[in-house]
Amino acid sequence: MKRWRWFWVATVGLALAGFCIPRPTLAGGEPVVLAVPTSTGFLEGKESLNAVRMAVEEVNKAGGVLVEGQRRPFKVESIDIRDAAPGVPVPEALLGLEKIILEKNPHAIVVGPFRSEALLAGMDIIAKYKVPMLGTIAMTPASEGKIKKDFAKYKYIFRTCLNAKYLVGYLVGLMKYIEKEFGFNRLFVMHQDVLWARKTAEITSAILKKSGWKILGSEAYPTGASDFSTGLMKARMSRAQVILPIFDMPQSGILVKQWNSMKVPTLMAGFISPLAGSKAWKAFDGKIAGAMNAIFEVGNIPVAKVPESVKFYQAYQRRWGEEVQSGHGPAPSYDTVYVLKEAIEAAGGLDAGSIVAALEKTDRRGTIGRIRYDEGHQVVFGQDPAKAALGCVFQWRPGGKRVVVYPPSVAEDKILLPPGLKPVK
Amino acid sequence: MFLGTLVYGIVNSVILALVALGFNLTFGISGIANFAYGALYVLTGYGVWILLNEVGLPLFLAAPAMVVLTAMAGALLYRVVLIRLRGMAISEVIATFGVGLAVLEFFRYLGFIGFEYTLPPLLDGSLSIGPVFLDLQRALIVIVGVTLTGVLWLFTHHTRLGLAFRGIAQDEHTAMCLGIHSDRVAMFSLAFGGGLCALAAVVILPIGTISVDAGYDVLLEALAVCIVGGLGSAVGVIVASFILGLAQTYTAMYMGSHWMMIVTLVAILLILTIRPSGLFGKQKELEERI
Repeated sequence: MKRWRWFWVATVGLALAGFCIPRPTLAGGEPVVLAVPTSTGFLEGKESLNAVRMAVEEVNKAGGVLVEGQRRPFKVESIDIRDAAPGVPVPEALLGLEKIILEKNPHAIVVGPFRSEALLAGMDIIAKYKVPMLGTIAMTPASEGKIKKDFAKYKYIFRTCLNAKYLVGYLVGLMKYIEKEFGFNRLFVMHQDVLWARKTAEITSAILKKSGWKILGSEAYPTGASDFSTGLMKARMSRAQVILPIFDMPQSGILVKQWNSMKVPTLMAGFISPLAGSKAWKAFDGKIAGAMNAIFEVGNIPVAKVPESVKFYQAYQRRWGEEVQSGHGPAPSYDTVYVLKEAIEAAGGLDAGSIVAALEKTDRRGTIGRIRYDEGHQVVFGQDPAKAALGCVFQWRPGGKRVVVYPPSVAEDKILLPPGLKPVK
Repeated sequence: MFLGTLVYGIVNSVILALVALGFNLTFGISGIANFAYGALYVLTGYGVWILLNEVGLPLFLAAPAMVVLTAMAGALLYRVVLIRLRGMAISEVIATFGVGLAVLEFFRYLGFIGFEYTLPPLLDGSLSIGPVFLDLQRALIVIVGVTLTGVLWLFTHHTRLGLAFRGIAQDEHTAMCLGIHSDRVAMFSLAFGGGLCALAAVVILPIGTISVDAGYDVLLEALAVCIVGGLGSAVGVIVASFILGLAQTYTAMYMGSHWMMIVTLVAILLILTIRPSGLFGKQKELEERI
C-alpha cells in the first residue's frame, strides 16, 4: 500500500512540475481570427488556404502574435464563396464574405475574393465593417484606383500578390527578351474570354505593337473550351513566331498538347494555369516541353536566387504531402500571415486603423521577394528580389524539369527553342 | 484552312454524337431523361484516374472496368431510385438531377480539384491529312464513334435484347403483352446508357481534363444534340451532331471561338420554335394527333 502511495505522489508531482515548466512556444489567450473567404473549390484558393494554415501553425508554434503584451494564437476560419465557379453571381459570393465577417468576427481577412469582379464589389463590405484585408488572388488594378480615390473608405484593403498591370509588364519584358535573343516579332494571342485575360491580352498586344511587334491575330475562348485547333491553325497560317496564351481554366493545358501534336512551328510563351505545377508534366503526357509559363509570384516555384522561396516550397511539400501546384496565390498568402503578425505587433493592438497604418510601413523579405506596399496598397513587383517582389517565367524541359528563364536576375538558363524553330537574327 | 476546319469539325461532331448516344438510348427506350448523365461521365473519368494512379491498374484494364462499373451504376440508379417514380416525368428529372448533383459535388468535396486529373491517350502520336496534323487520339474518337454507331444498329436490329428495347420503345403495353419485362428493359436501358456514356468518357477525356464542371457541360451538350435531333431518335442524334459540330467549328474559325456556344443555343431556339420534336423526333406530332 505504501509503495502505491509513493507512486501516486510521484505521478502528481510530475504532473504539477509539467504545468510549472514554462512553454514559450505555445500561445494562450483569445485567438486572433483570420478569415479566408475565397473559392476553396479551385486550386489557387485551396492551396492559398493551405499556405495560410501552414503559416498560422508556424506562428502559433513560435508563440503566437504579441497583442498588448500578451501572446495570442492565430485562428483560421474559412468559407468557400464560390466566386470563381461558372454561373455564380457576384452578389451570392458577397453573401459568403459578409457571413464570415458577421459570424466569425475576424480581426483580418486574408486571401480574399478570387475573381476581380467579386473583389471590386466586396470592397464596400470590407469598408463597411472596417476589417483589414490582404488579398492574394484577385488581380484587377481597378481596386487600387478605388483606394486612391476614396482612401478613408477603402484604406483597409491591401494586395500582396501580382496585379494585372505587373503581369503585363512581365509578359512585355519576356517578349522583348525573346526578340533580343532570337529576333522574333510576329505574335498570335490566344486567351480565355474573361475580364482579366481579355484586358491582359489587349494591353500586352497594344504595348508590343507600339514596340514594333506584328500582332497577327487574337483568339478568345469561352471558359470550358477544350479544342484549340482553330486558333492554332490561324497561328500557323499567319506565320506567327510566338503564341501568347493567357488562360486560367483547367482545360487550357490541352492547348499546349495540341500545339505539340499539330506541330505548330512557334514558341509558346505566356500563362496557362494548369502548366504551372510540377504535376503538369505527367498530366499532359510530357507533351509540353519547350512551353514557357509565367509564375505570378516566386515561392510558388522554388527559385535558387530567392532562398526564402525554396524554404517555403519545401516546407509546403512537407506539410501537405505535395508540392505547390498553382502559379498564383499560395506564396503571397503565406507571406501575408507574417506581414499581418508584424503589423499587429507594431500597431500594439487589434485596432483596424492602427493595423492599416502599420501595414503601410511593411518592409519585409518574404518568399516572394521584398514586400512593400505602394500608395494603392499594392505590393511593388520588379526584376530584383532584393528591391521588390518578383514574378518569373520558366520553361518546361524534356524530362519534366522546370527551368527559370526570365527575368535575367534570377534566370537559371537561356530560353531554348523547340526543335524545328530557328532564330531569325 | 478549309480542310483543317473540316477535319476538326468532323472530330467535334463525332465527340458530340458519342456524348449524346447514351442519353438518347435511355430516353428512347424507357422515356427517362437521365439528368445524372454528366455525373456518370465524370464518375468514369475519376474512376479510371483512381484505378490508374492509386490502384495501379494498367489502362487497358482500368478503362473497361469503369465502363462496366458505370453501366452497373446506371442499373442501380433505376433499381433504387427510378423504379418508384416510373412514369412521373418531372419526378424522374428531379431525382436523376439530384443524384447527379450529389455525385458531382461529392467529388468536389473529396478534393478532386486541380489540373492533374487527366487520362493518358489510348493512342499516342499524330498523323497528317494533307497539310493538317491530327493527333491519333482524335482519329481514334472518330473510329470509335463510327464503329459504335454500327454496333448499336446491329444490336438493336439483330439481338433479342435489342429487339426488346425497340419493342418497349415502340409500344410498352403491347411489348408487355408479348412477355417483355418493362422494368427489366428500362433498367437495361439505364445500364446501356451509362455504359455508352462511360465509353465516351474513356475515349474523349484523354484530349481534355477531368473536372466536376465537365459533368454539367456534358449534360448540356447531350441535351442540345437530342433536342435538335429529336429525343429518342438515333438518326436524329447523328445528324444533329454533325450539324452542330461543323457549325461550331466553322463559326470558331471564321467568326471567333467565343461564338461557338451561341451556335448551340441558336440551334435549340430555332428547333423549338419551328419543329418542337426535333429534326427526327415524333413526340410532339403524336401528342398533337391524339
